[in-house]
Order: sequence, then C-alpha cells, then structure tokens
Amino acid sequence: MAPRLTVQVQLILQALLRDPAKEMYGLELSEETGLQPGTAYPILLRLEHEGWVSSRWEDIDPRAEKRPARRYYRLTAGGAVQASAALSGARRPKGTALRRLAEGGGTA
Amino acid sequence: MMPSIDREERRKKRAPVIGFIVSGSLLVSVLLPASWQWLPIAVGTSAAIAVGVTIDPPVGRARRSGLRGRRRERGSGLGAPGRDDADGLAAVTAHRWHTLVMVSWLMPRQPGRRWLAEAESLLSEIPAFQRGAAIRSYLRSALQLVVMMWAREVRRRARPGPRRPG
Repeated sequence: MAPRLTVQVQLILQALLRDPAKEMYGLELSEETGLQPGTAYPILLRLEHEGWVSSRWEDIDPRAEKRPARRYYRLTAGGAVQASAALSGARRPKGTALRRLAEGGGTA
Repeated sequence: MMPSIDREERRKKRAPVIGFIVSGSLLVSVLLPASWQWLPIAVGTSAAIAVGVTIDPPVGRARRSGLRGRRRERGSGLGAPGRDDADGLAAVTAHRWHTLVMVSWLMPRQPGRRWLAEAESLLSEIPAFQRGAAIRSYLRSALQLVVMMWAREVRRRARPGPRRPG
C-alpha cells in the first residue's frame, strides 16, 4: 500500500529523489526539507515499512569520530520508481505551505 | 557539568509527562485486540510510577540509567558534560532529553532503542539553540510513533513462522 502523500511526505521524497543513489541522514534530510527531525522520523519509518526506503547505521567508531553513528536513508530501486510516479501524480506543495513548514518545522 | 533543575520545578514538569504517558497507554490499549490490552497499560503504569517517584536530577538519572546501556557508553549525546553550558540551555534540554528516554520505554524494545539512538545521534550534531525545538518535535510525534510501532509489533507477533527482529 502506498503511503499517504502529505506535503511533508512529498518533501522527504523530493529530497531523496534528487539523487536516489545518495544516502542521507536525519539532520541532512531535516535541513534539506525544512522539517523538524521529529516530524521527518515517522515519515521515514513509514516509507521504510512500505519498502520505499532502506536504512542502515553508519559504520564508524564513535570514539574516534567523537560523535554517534548516523542512520542513513536512501530510496530502494522500487521505491524510487514508485515515489517518482506518486509525486508526478500528486499535487505539488504550494510555496506558502513550504515556507510555513520551513519556519515552523511542520507536523506529520 | 550541567546545572540541575530545582526540585519544585521538576515536580511541576512531571505532571504533563505522567498525563502524556497515561493517555498514550490508554489510547494504545484501546487500539489493540482485547488479549493485548494489558500490555500498554502495564508499561504505561510502570513508566508513570517511575516518573512519579523520581526525585533525582534528570542528568544524574540519565547517567545512572545508562540510557539502556550500549548507547550511553559511547559518551555522546546530551549527557556529555559541558555540551551547551555556554548558552544556559543545558538544564531544560537535559530535562526534555530525560522525557525522551522515558517516552522510548513506551515503545516496543527494538524500535524504541532505534528511535532513541537516532534522536541522540541527530541531537548531538544539531546546534544547541535548535536542540530544544528538535526534542519538542520528537515528543510531539512520539504518541503517533508509539501507536504505529505497537500496531506493527502486534502484527509481527501474530504472523506465523519464524520471528524477525523489528
């Protein structure tokens, strides 16, 4: 079943679709979309449950890097196709909605 | 070292957390089949009691609780001493972080750990002045996540065949 394409879901999908091969972590996605991290997380989880997105923990030594490992997300092959199709059929988020989300962080 | 929040202040802040836990547990239990309704109530009651009886400073408790062990050992996240002492947000942020840890207890074990680990990872990289808003956003979406995760967990357990980690 395809996830409901709210404005926030569209923003996340658009960010991931910009370069489907690139992995993005939570903060990166949050900065790219203007969504608060707490808003982006349930969306990413839902997309992962639907098989559109896959994720993995970064393989680093946190002590050496002096930061915790990041969780990276990327579109699956099928997810990229489905997301493109869904976005082309969806109503594009209006500029005001995007501005409001960028200012307030939005909710899922 | 982060300053501690005074006792009365913490008592006031505990009430909405307990309310959130109780209402969340009741909501989740209503959504579950009858045979599973005891679970969120049991978890919620335990969490509410834990919040109710806690009198330690949030930072001290978070350190002693070990944030479910492994993650806290990394010495990262908001428990790191002096992380945002300069802007005076440390106590408030630590308290909210403590709330985040408790909310994760309402989630199924594996997804709850992952949520908290991911929040910790992200919050450790976010600028200190944005951290409060980020934690609030995590808390705002927590109830939705608790429901989503438990629904998925119940479906997973009800499914026949070998179990896979969530």
